[in-house]
Amino acid sequence: MRDNGSTSTGTRMIALVGNPNSGKTTVFNALTGLRQKVANYPGVTVERHVGTVRLADGVDCLVLDLPGTYSLRASSPVEAIAVDVMLGRAAHTPPPDLIVCVVDAGNLERNLFLVSQIIDNRLPVVLALNMVDVAREHGVVVNTHRLEKELGIPVVPMVATTGVGLDELRRAMAATPALSPRAREWTLPEPVHRELEELTGMLVGSGKFSEAAAFNEAIDLLTSHPSALEQTDRFDPAILDHVRIDHQKLDFLGFDRESVAATARYAWIRQVVARSIDRVAHPGISRTDRLDRILTHRVWGLVVFLLLMALMFQSIFSWATAPMELIAEGFDALGRGVSGLMPPGPLHDLIINGAIAGVAAVVMFLPQIMFLFFFLTLLEDTGYMARAAYVMDRLMGRVGLPGKAFIPLLSSFACAIPGIMSARTIERERDRVATMLIAPLMSCSARLPVYTLLIAAFIPSTTILGVLSLPALTMFGLYLFGVVVALAIAWVVKRTLLRSPKTELLLELPPYKLPSLKSILLTMWERAVVFLKQAGTIILGASIIMWFLVSYPALENATPSQQIEHSFAGRAGKFVEPAIEPLGFNWKIGIGLISSLFQREVFVSTMGTIYNLQNAEGGGSSSLASRMREDVDPLTGRPTFTLPIALAVLVYYVLAMQCLSTVAIMRRETNGWKWPAIQFATMTGLAYAAAFIVYRVGTAMGGS
Amino acid sequence: MTPHHSIRLADAPLGKRVRISRLRSRPDVSIRLREMGFCEDAVVRCVMKSHGNIICEILNTRVAMNSRLAGDILVSPFE
Repeated sequence: MRDNGSTSTGTRMIALVGNPNSGKTTVFNALTGLRQKVANYPGVTVERHVGTVRLADGVDCLVLDLPGTYSLRASSPVEAIAVDVMLGRAAHTPPPDLIVCVVDAGNLERNLFLVSQIIDNRLPVVLALNMVDVAREHGVVVNTHRLEKELGIPVVPMVATTGVGLDELRRAMAATPALSPRAREWTLPEPVHRELEELTGMLVGSGKFSEAAAFNEAIDLLTSHPSALEQTDRFDPAILDHVRIDHQKLDFLGFDRESVAATARYAWIRQVVARSIDRVAHPGISRTDRLDRILTHRVWGLVVFLLLMALMFQSIFSWATAPMELIAEGFDALGRGVSGLMPPGPLHDLIINGAIAGVAAVVMFLPQIMFLFFFLTLLEDTGYMARAAYVMDRLMGRVGLPGKAFIPLLSSFACAIPGIMSARTIERERDRVATMLIAPLMSCSARLPVYTLLIAAFIPSTTILGVLSLPALTMFGLYLFGVVVALAIAWVVKRTLLRSPKTELLLELPPYKLPSLKSILLTMWERAVVFLKQAGTIILGASIIMWFLVSYPALENATPSQQIEHSFAGRAGKFVEPAIEPLGFNWKIGIGLISSLFQREVFVSTMGTIYNLQNAEGGGSSSLASRMREDVDPLTGRPTFTLPIALAVLVYYVLAMQCLSTVAIMRRETNGWKWPAIQFATMTGLAYAAAFIVYRVGTAMGGS
Repeated sequence: MTPHHSIRLADAPLGKRVRISRLRSRPDVSIRLREMGFCEDAVVRCVMKSHGNIICEILNTRVAMNSRLAGDILVSPFE
C-alpha cells in the first residue's frame, strides 16, 4: 500500500523520472547544484544520484534522479531500478512522496506514454514540461493550462538549461497534489474493458494487490504472450487459468491482444496533444535534418566522428599537461614542507613517500579524467553522441557488439574504471560483459607516462614525410594496437563464450541543442568525486603498500638503487626474472612490472628509484631516459634496454591487465570472480606472447 | 488482419508518411518498439536510409534502427 506521507526519516523524497533525452539530468543538476552525491544502489551496480534541493517554503527535500525509461515496463536492469523505486517496490528505497516526470515539450506524444502509466498507478506526479524553447523553434507551442486540465496533474513549463521555470517547479514540488479523482481517460474497446475490470477485481480480491497495482497487472496479463504466463509464479493458478480463457475469448473476437492497450493509450494521447497544442507548423528542413545529412552519412559521418575523436584526444593530452605539472609541483612542495616538520624515520617516510606520493599519484589523474568527461558530456548533451553510436553501429556490429558499446570503450581511454562502470547502459548482459572485458585494452591514461618515457628514451625523433614524427606514430600505433586486439577478442568472445543474436539497433536521435555549461561542469565534478572515492582509495592504499615493499627490509646507508634491490620488491623482481627472461626483461624491469600491478605509471617512478633519481616524473625524465639507455649489467655486459626490449615492454603494457583496481571494478560489475579471472589470465597471456614475439623478432632483425 | 497493401518499413519510400499496420517482431521487442512510439496506427516517415539501416521520424522524434527491425514493421500508405 502506498503511503502519501513523508518517508520514515521525515525528509520529503522526490523522484525525478522521464524519457531518455528529456533533459532530466539537467533538471536535476539545476535543482541540486553541488548538493548531490553518487553512490550505488545496495546489492546492484547501478548508480544512485541523490541531491538536496531547498524548496519554496524553505524546507530541504531529497531528489532522486532515476535512470531514464520509456515506460513502466523495464527493458534493462537499469530501467528496472527506476520502475521499482517509482512503484515503491524497491526494498532499499522508500516510495517517493512525489514524482516529477520530466517531459520533452517537443516530443509530447511519446513522453506522455510514461506519464499515462504513472497516472494509472495513482502516483502523485508533477509534469515538468522541459525544453519548451526547442519545441517553439520547431513550431510546437504547448498550452500549459489545457494540458493540465486534460491530464489532471500540475504542469510546469521550463527550460532547464537556462533556469526558466525552476522557481515554479520548486513551488510545485513543495506540495503533494491530490490524486486526480478522474477515472482513467484512455479507454479500451468494450469487450477488452470488461475482461480487464473483471480480472482487476479478481486480483484485488486475492488480497495481494492494491487497486492501482491490480489494474496494471491485469493489463500486463491480458496483453502478454501465452508463454509469459508459464513463467510467472506471482499469481494463483486459478487466476492464470482465467487469464488463459480471456486470451482465447479476445483472440476469437479478433483483437490484437498484444497491442490493444498500447494502441488505446496512444489514441487517447493523440487527442490530449491535439487539444493542448496551440500551434504546430511543419517547419521545412530543420537544422537537425541538415546536420544529420552529414553526421549520419555512411562515409562522412564516420569521417567527422574520427576527426572529432582525434581532436578530443589531442585537446585532452595537450590541455591536461599544464594542470598535471601544477599538481606535481604542488605535491612536491607539500612533501618538502611536511618533511621539514617531521623528524626522519619510518613514519616520516611513510607519510612523504607513501601517503603523499600516493595521493599525488591519484590526483594527477584528475585533469585528464575531467577533460574527457567534459567532452563526453558535451557530446551527449548536444545530441551528437546518439549519432556517433549510430555511425559506429556497423563497425561494432562486425565484432558482435552494439553501437552503444563504443562509449564505455571510448571512456576507457582515460581510465577503464569509469569506462567499465558506464557499460551498464548496455541492455544485454552478454554484450555488457563483452564490452567490459575488452575495455582495459583501450590504452588508459596511466599507461601514458610509461609510453612517453620509453618512446622518448628509445624511439629516434626522425620525421616521416616531413610531417609525422616517429615517436608520435609509435604512440598512435600503440593505441591502435590495443584497439585492434580488443576488437579481435570481442569478435572471438561474442562467437563463443558470450554468443547471442545480433542486437537490434533502436536508438533515439534527439534534436541538436545547446547544452547547459553548468550542467556539464556539475557532471564533471561528480565523475571526479566518484573516481576519487572508488579508485582513489584503492590507489592510495596500493601506494602505501608499494612504498613498504620497496623500503623494507631496509638497508643502512644505501643508495636508492641499492635499497630497492634489497627490498621485498627487488627480491620479487629477481624471483620472476627467469619467467620474463625469454622476453629479454631483467629483474629491474621485473620490479617495474610488479610495481605496475598497483598502478601502471608507478613504472616510471620505480625506474627513477632504480636509477637513483629523486624526481622521475618532472624534468628528470630526460636524464632518466639517458640512464636507462646506458644501463649495462656489470656481470654480462648486456644492456638492460635495447630497442627490441623497449618495444617489448611497450607491447606488454598495451596488453597486460595490471591495474588491480580494474579487477576490483570488474568483480563488482559482473558480480563474481569468473570474468575478472578470465580477463586477467587472457590479457596477461597475450601480453607475454606479444612481448616475446616483438623481442625475438626485433633482436633477430638486428635491432640490438 | 493485415490490410492488403502492407510493405516493410525498410522498403517504404523515403519522405513519404506511412501508417504502421502490424509488428511482427518478438513480443519483447514489440513492446520496446511500441513504447518508443512504433505502435499500430502510428504514422511514420523514413528520412534516411543507408545499407539497410534507416532513420525515421515518428511522433516528432527521429529514431534510428537497423534493417532487421525495419523489416519487422509492416506499414501501409497514409492518406
